[in-house]
Amino acid sequence: MALKIPIPGRKKESAPEPGDGAANGNGASPNGTNGDGPTRAEKVAKAKQATVHHGTAAAKNTTDWLDERVNGTGIYTAMLSRKVPKGTNWFYTLGSSVMFIFSMQAITGVFLAMYYTPSATEAYSSISHITNEVFLGEFVRGLHKWGASLMIILIFLHMARTFFFGAYKYPRELNWVIGVVLIVLTMVMGLTGYLLPFDQRSFWATIVANNITASGPVLGPYLADFLRAGPDFSATTLSRFYALHMLVVPGLIGGLIAAHLFLVVKLGTTAPPWVKAPRPKGSRPSELVPAGVPMVDATEMNLNGHSGNGHVEVSENGASLPTAETDGAAEGPPSEGEAS
Amino acid sequence: MTRRKAFVVGSAALGGLAGAAVVLPVVGFAIAPVLTRGEERWEAVGTEDDFDRETYRTVVFTETPGIGEAGKTTAYVRRGSAEIEGEDPNGYVAISTRCAHLGCPVRFVQAAGNFICPCHGGVYDFIGERIGGPPVRPLDRFQTRIRNGFVELGPRYSVTNQLKPVRPRDPGEFTGGIWEYLYPPRPTVFPPPN
Repeated sequence: MALKIPIPGRKKESAPEPGDGAANGNGASPNGTNGDGPTRAEKVAKAKQATVHHGTAAAKNTTDWLDERVNGTGIYTAMLSRKVPKGTNWFYTLGSSVMFIFSMQAITGVFLAMYYTPSATEAYSSISHITNEVFLGEFVRGLHKWGASLMIILIFLHMARTFFFGAYKYPRELNWVIGVVLIVLTMVMGLTGYLLPFDQRSFWATIVANNITASGPVLGPYLADFLRAGPDFSATTLSRFYALHMLVVPGLIGGLIAAHLFLVVKLGTTAPPWVKAPRPKGSRPSELVPAGVPMVDATEMNLNGHSGNGHVEVSENGASLPTAETDGAAEGPPSEGEAS
Repeated sequence: MTRRKAFVVGSAALGGLAGAAVVLPVVGFAIAPVLTRGEERWEAVGTEDDFDRETYRTVVFTETPGIGEAGKTTAYVRRGSAEIEGEDPNGYVAISTRCAHLGCPVRFVQAAGNFICPCHGGVYDFIGERIGGPPVRPLDRFQTRIRNGFVELGPRYSVTNQLKPVRPRDPGEFTGGIWEYLYPPRPTVFPPPN
């Protein structure tokens, strides 16, 4: 009946052999399941459960419904219930703190944008309107203003934790690089946001920052012209900084935070340097048997599945170990002749 | 090339074309101000009798229109002096208050006869040449002309250490010599006067 269209890779699924469906009854299944989903018996059992505890079962059904489609439990487990190494401590909360501050900046920023006017002639008065007249305006603006400094402080503490715990090492180098880009973007946020109140301080600070940009050879003058949208601070400069501050850079930061978190979830976190990483038994250098010392736990090694004969022989005569790893240890204690 | 690969390449090309159709105009839109020059502005700052040769008079005028007070700038103006080499006694000298270090506003201190910057201690002498502090060149100037008995100020220009006019720079940029190439010309600014 159906036309057989060969689709690479999906041949078996989409084009069943004639008679396949009839043989296992899949094709005749009334609810159209292909055998991957819950069977009819399971659904009946689930429905029976639902009649017993109505409320909780309904919630469970909703969770199941979502889980089947987006694997919410899996995401929750990976993000918040994943295993962390022994020794994980308060220092490991610095990254989350930065993310919390970023969210706070985003939320307060969105609401500040409801009252702010990015125009050189009206910016200052709209800010003073927010601060002095709008209900809780001083508080919301204060959160945004002080949160900015706090975010920079927390970022550098987070970076210091990563550095001193050696968490930037293989395989997490890429996450370090992403983190550095995030620091630079956060500083761009600081620079562009500083202008927005448009008082004397923010105006002159921006002038100086622009002039520092311009003093870079060859490209500097053009970059400064780009930032100012012209040879001098002009009507477009403020709206340009505003657009960078509230649209461009936050979008980049959000995307990079997602990548940062993805790598944290994928690679896991590192143990603090003072926690020794667990090693499989027998791989520790101290556990390798030096020549001349009778092997104490040969039986345990036998239990671990090593071939018994060879080890027993070694433990009996102990004169020579054939493996490469123990060659160094086979030299025995340093003699006095070597030391002099 | 297989049929499949042809479709992959074709759809990537179409997608790229559609993306470029959006991104290129937007990028051009954003960088256009780097490539365009505004209108030349001249503004009268006083009559010929307002200025003398011995000292400066402070004038405030609009350098950038449309942004209110923020677009105004201050200049120190005096008549040209025959005693100063290279100055036209019939012309005018208009010195910008924008410090050549990082752009803070300098002030002419009458008692010292110097321009002094409050930010990082840059000091310039009576004709705007650097005599101390971190600035990298003399103070900028504005072009001057006389129209109907009024002294008018025009576009800004920078000067070398020998006070030779060159195209305007931002503060912090050297002038003259190799620096004319390390800080290449920008399309946004006006050429210097002859």
